[in-house]
Amino acid sequence: MTEAHVSPAKYLWIWVWLAGLMLVGVALSAVPLPKTAIIFLIVLLSTIKATLVALYYMHLKSDKQALVLVAVFPLVLIGLAVLVILSSRLVRL
Amino acid sequence: MSQAHAATLSEAFSTTGIPSNKLGMWLFLASEVMFFTGLIAAYVVLRMSNPAWPGPEGHLSAAIGTFNTLILLCSSYTIVMAYDAVLNDHQRRARGFLIATILLGCSFLGIKGYEYAAKFSHGITPGTDVFWSCYFALTGFHALHVLGGIIANLWVFSLALRRRLPPSRGYLVELAGLYWHFVDIVWLFLFPLLYVIEPLLQRLT
Repeated sequence: MTEAHVSPAKYLWIWVWLAGLMLVGVALSAVPLPKTAIIFLIVLLSTIKATLVALYYMHLKSDKQALVLVAVFPLVLIGLAVLVILSSRLVRL
Repeated sequence: MSQAHAATLSEAFSTTGIPSNKLGMWLFLASEVMFFTGLIAAYVVLRMSNPAWPGPEGHLSAAIGTFNTLILLCSSYTIVMAYDAVLNDHQRRARGFLIATILLGCSFLGIKGYEYAAKFSHGITPGTDVFWSCYFALTGFHALHVLGGIIANLWVFSLALRRRLPPSRGYLVELAGLYWHFVDIVWLFLFPLLYVIEPLLQRLT
């Protein structure tokens, strides 16, 4: 069993960051920026929030490297999937 | 099951030095990540292929979606606090945080049900068009996962009620929590995709 190395106060701070970043993402849609930039920023914010949850709430930060590799490997596959999807827009068969 | 036996199970390590139950849960979550990746990728491909994306017959309320996201974020906080409470043998606090997690999860599903009912009452169903097919598929599968998480949390809560959740069995809360946080993470991507980016694209197209 992994010991929790995060204090209750830190859990609360992480929640504050998560809620704040979520609200920033919603507010971004009203900012007069190019839509590509807004979409990129919103996806980036979601990734940051997911990372915070994984590192602190799921305790990956204090877990063994092997477990971190298991958790991170799907992201490699997701990256490959994204490349395939985007490449289909470049190569029209 | 005796506490000694339970402690032995909780300490069963794989050759990697990671508790087997925890490794098993992360492997399961990895497969679930690929499941939702496939669904979201399908949505993105369909969206990119249809510049004139349908949807004027109805819209999603960003306010409701934002509130529901806050509910899920709160539930992530409460379940991790429940785990912390169990590890420190604060049984009453653990029960409180566990029931809060369950109630927040039920609230999320209740609000999702309200959204679905509103859509159905306006004649919007999964068969209306491609967008609504994707919306109901993505959020429907996510809601089923939330329901599964609630059931798991209810079982852990029942152990806590029967005073069968000492610190040595805290791994049960950890495992339930890992699944619950995963469900939260999926929503952290679904919510902006459907409630923020999609209306933005409709507005700017």
